[in-house]
Amino acid sequence: MRLLIAEDDPQLGDGLTVGLRQDGYAVDWVRDGQAADLALKTEHYDLLVLDLGLPRLEGMEVLRSLRFREQNLPVLILTARDAIGDKIAGLDGGADEYLVKPVSLDELSARIRAMIRRAAGRAQPRLQLGDLVLDPATRQVTLAGVPVELSVREFSLLQVLMEHSGRVMSRAQLESSIYGWRDEPDSNALEVHIHHLRRKLGAERIKTLRGIGYTMPKA
Amino acid sequence: MSTAQPSTRWFSLRRRLLVWLLGGVTGGWLAALAFTYFDAHHEIDELFDAQMVQMAQTLLALASEYDNDDDIARLEETGHKYQKKLAFQLWDDEGRLLLRSPQAPLHRLAEVDGFSESAGSGMDRWRYYSQWDRQGRLRVQVAEHHYLREDLSGHIAGRLLMPALFGLPLLGAWIWFTTRRSLSPLDEIAAEIAARTPDRLDQVSPAVAPQEIGPLLAAMNALFRRVSGAMEQERRFTADAAHELRTPLAAIVAQAQVALRARSAAERDHALEQIVTSGRRAGRLVEQLLTLARLDPAIGLPLEPVRLDLLAAEECAGQGATALERQIALELNADGQVIVSGNADMLRVLLRNLLDNALRYTPQGGKVSVSVTAQSLAVADNGPGIPAEERANVLRRFHRLAGQEIEGSGLGLSIVARIAELHGARLELADNQPGLVARLIFSAA
Repeated sequence: MRLLIAEDDPQLGDGLTVGLRQDGYAVDWVRDGQAADLALKTEHYDLLVLDLGLPRLEGMEVLRSLRFREQNLPVLILTARDAIGDKIAGLDGGADEYLVKPVSLDELSARIRAMIRRAAGRAQPRLQLGDLVLDPATRQVTLAGVPVELSVREFSLLQVLMEHSGRVMSRAQLESSIYGWRDEPDSNALEVHIHHLRRKLGAERIKTLRGIGYTMPKA
Repeated sequence: MSTAQPSTRWFSLRRRLLVWLLGGVTGGWLAALAFTYFDAHHEIDELFDAQMVQMAQTLLALASEYDNDDDIARLEETGHKYQKKLAFQLWDDEGRLLLRSPQAPLHRLAEVDGFSESAGSGMDRWRYYSQWDRQGRLRVQVAEHHYLREDLSGHIAGRLLMPALFGLPLLGAWIWFTTRRSLSPLDEIAAEIAARTPDRLDQVSPAVAPQEIGPLLAAMNALFRRVSGAMEQERRFTADAAHELRTPLAAIVAQAQVALRARSAAERDHALEQIVTSGRRAGRLVEQLLTLARLDPAIGLPLEPVRLDLLAAEECAGQGATALERQIALELNADGQVIVSGNADMLRVLLRNLLDNALRYTPQGGKVSVSVTAQSLAVADNGPGIPAEERANVLRRFHRLAGQEIEGSGLGLSIVARIAELHGARLELADNQPGLVARLIFSAA
């Protein structure tokens, strides 16, 4: 899962970036509205955390042009503005969540999980394929009830594949989902993570379509 | 609002109008009364004198026929009330009293011919008329009590007095009623203002307002505008301040959670450093907010002569360590002894903010120079400067330029601007090519 954070405060932006990376998300952080707009036009993100009081281009403008381009990714507004009018304008302007600073990282994480879940069209908090269960909240994976130890990247990769089970995910899609700008992957890092996942979960779980990508078939 | 200040002297327009109008009417009417009385008196005098003369001549004409050497004839009393106030005597040339009216005394009424007055005063005064006949044989003397004249003029004046006695209370009631009606818009306006609360400061615009209180209404409305403007500013400031504090607090919370969940010592230390930075920022913000809050109500800032050159030297020395640490050349140019009228503490805060900004935005190896001249104080730096079109905006609270790496609250220049305003000084932001010059120009007064 790849997130974009648009926040001009250096300490808060850093905290959100590091904190959400700890939760296993690939996170990109921009510090003004124009950079956010540019990033949204050129990269694929699963969710946007947007501050309203951004330099260069207001957060609401970023949101407006995002929705104008018919990009449907979930948007969470995280702002200091607590007026009812601001909240209404934000939600009516196309945001899915509106949180007022300061907010606990745990709550922010939970909201983001819920938003990603809703965006994928499911209400169940846990992802399930047969006897393989992934819980995004506890970051636990169980196979036939037995916990499976996964690294942060492996977990993220599995989550993306399970979110889109039955669909073929291209290499590029998978990479952009688990890597931000700062951590450029080695050319074969993806294969390494897939290899580890197959070893831990069973080779049959993840199918390779040579030259196209990977998929996890629906049970 | 409804309790009167004890020092205020209250008076009622209505009572005032009543007293002055009624007093004026009464005074004018009394003057008319006095004039009428004296005028009537004068006319009555002439009329009565003419009657006395006529009466004397009639008596003489009758008496010349009357040739009786008997005792003194005394006329019988008939019944008119005024008769007692009239008397006459008829004398011959030998000094004998020939005829007299019942009230007339036996002695001669008057010694001189023509008109004369008795010695008595007031109700005892008589008026006499004395005349000889043409042959000089008979002398008639007529006396008339003054009471007659007084009584008649009194009656005439009394006729005038009566309507006024009824009329004046009626007029008073009419004045009371009409002033009440005319002043009723005042009551309405007063009620409207009394019903107001601090958050309802819109304009007072009564449906009908007398022209006379137009200036008062306009002044009140102007005051309402100013007060609500000040309150709105205050409200916005509080909201802005809360917002500005939220972000560093959010950063502290987020970084603390990052530190708690950190998987390596390096990650934890990084988060802890960020917490310290955010904490400092929040602290600095609070300090500046407090400074601004203290400045806001300071309308009557006490001004006294301040040695600006010494003050600048002290502040520059205070920032010397920071300048050295950042390898910035800090210099002070003072035109000898400079004295301005100001508040030393506030000027210190102002200079500290300008220096703090200059040192923070100037890159390593740059230069910050402070110059003090007779009427100005300037701080020039080699920082990024402020684009001309942004210079007005940066004086607003919490306004920060876009894309700045250097942290700041966006309050420093608002504090400087506010202090400049309190000193009646002008704050100029200019280009230092490269950098910014902030110049405070004191008015020549």
